[in-house]
Formats: sequence, structure tokens, C-alpha cells
Amino acid sequence: MDKLDYTPKFAPFFGMAGIAFAMTFGCIGAAYGTAKSGIGISGVATFRPDLIMKSLIPVVMSGIIAVYSLVISVLIAGDMGPPPQLNYSLFNGFMHLGCGLSVGLTGLAAGYAIGIVGDMGVRSYMKQSRIFVGMVLILIFAEVLGLYGLIVALILNTKSRG
Amino acid sequence: MAARKNLQSDMSFSKEDDSRPMEKSNITPVVPAHVIYNLLGFTLAMVVCPIGSYFLTLNTIFGGNSTYAGATAAIMANVVLMGYVIVAFREDKSDALEAAEKERERKGQ
Repeated sequence: MDKLDYTPKFAPFFGMAGIAFAMTFGCIGAAYGTAKSGIGISGVATFRPDLIMKSLIPVVMSGIIAVYSLVISVLIAGDMGPPPQLNYSLFNGFMHLGCGLSVGLTGLAAGYAIGIVGDMGVRSYMKQSRIFVGMVLILIFAEVLGLYGLIVALILNTKSRG
Repeated sequence: MAARKNLQSDMSFSKEDDSRPMEKSNITPVVPAHVIYNLLGFTLAMVVCPIGSYFLTLNTIFGGNSTYAGATAAIMANVVLMGYVIVAFREDKSDALEAAEKERERKGQ
């Protein structure tokens, strides 16, 4: 009876929801960042094709946001298993939901910031080359938001084996 | 009638074009090959490096501690990003040098 209280049947639902939220929100952010900065890059590339290589940096950074969510999803999926072998507690379910939401929603925020900064930054870089270092710094600070979510999710994830 | 006249004049234009001596057309690719190899390499690295390093280090180095392996994967993703930024910088510099050299050659001729 005691065990059933801690590991109810619906507990894995929350863990699965965590995986889904991490992947979905993170990829929404990465997709927005890629698409919005891609608009700016194609606008710049028609006038200055030599700047394409440098302008692609926001796209690479959006890709990293998706990698963060992928890592957390793989981590959570590694901790889950079907009931007879593994008793999945409700605590683990909520914790994995928290992991997924923290990495997913921070990824959404970071991707949104990267998209807008990438679009405008690349367009301004076409007119003023000195803005490049500033643009990369702003992009890094935007991407660090996603990294914070990843760190929190990693620390949360260690609690499952307490 | 007007349309037919236009057609005839168009045809005469095309005939003139054909009779012109063959010019050597520019067939060098718009994007140089080494740039494409660079981009392909970084795409592959972006796909393989983080998740590959996670599964590689999970049981060999960290002995099943998935937190450290996950952190390694995140670090590897950032290493790829740093590599891309550095290569993008050097790419633009080498492009500028090549352009300057071509300019010099043209002046020499």
C-alpha cells in the first residue's frame, strides 16, 4: 500500500510529458531562431554574398538550443522504464516534468532572442562591419539563457537517484 | 502584324547571337568547394558530436553517471560553435587576401 502511494500508475505520464515539452518547446525556439535569422541572412546575401559565412552564426546557435533539449530528453528517457522492472515514483515524474519544462521554455526564450538579434544584427553588419563582435556577444548572452535551463535540468535530474 | 514583326526581330537577334564567336563562359562554381566541405563538416559535427560524445562517455569515462555525460554533450556542442566562429573569421580573411592577390595579378598583366 505504501509503495503504491509513492509510485502511482499515472506517474510515468508526467515524465513522458517532460520529454515531450523539452523537445517541443526547445525546437519551437530553435525553429524560430533559424527562420527569423534566415530571413535576415537571405536579405544580406543578395547584396554581400561574402558575408554569408559570418552571418550563419545565429543559425548554428539556434541548432545548439535544440541540442540542449535533445540531451535532456535522452537523459529523462534513460531514467524511465516499464513498471515491472522499474517502480517510477510520482516524485520522479514531477521532477522530469520540471526538467523538461525548464530546458524547453528557456530554449524557447533563447531561440526567440537569437532570431530577432540574428535578423537585425546581420542586416546591420552589412552596413557597419564593426557591429560583428557586438552581435556575436549578444547572441552568446541570448544562448546562455538556454544553457541556464540546461544546467538547472541537469541538477534536477541528479535527484532521481537520491 | 506587330507581334509578327517583333518575332522576326527577335529571331534576327538570336541569329546574330549564334554567329558571334564563342566566348568562354564562366563555369567556376559560385560557392567554392572548400566552403561547401566546411559547411558539410560542421553540419556533420553538429549532428554527431554532442549526442555521440554523450553515449561514448556515458559508460566508458563517467561510469553510468548520465549528468556528467549530458554536460559533456552540451560542452561539445559549444566547442563546435566556437570552431565555426573561428573558421568563419579565417574564411573572410583568406577571401580578402585572395581578392587582393587577384587584383595584383590583374594589374601586373
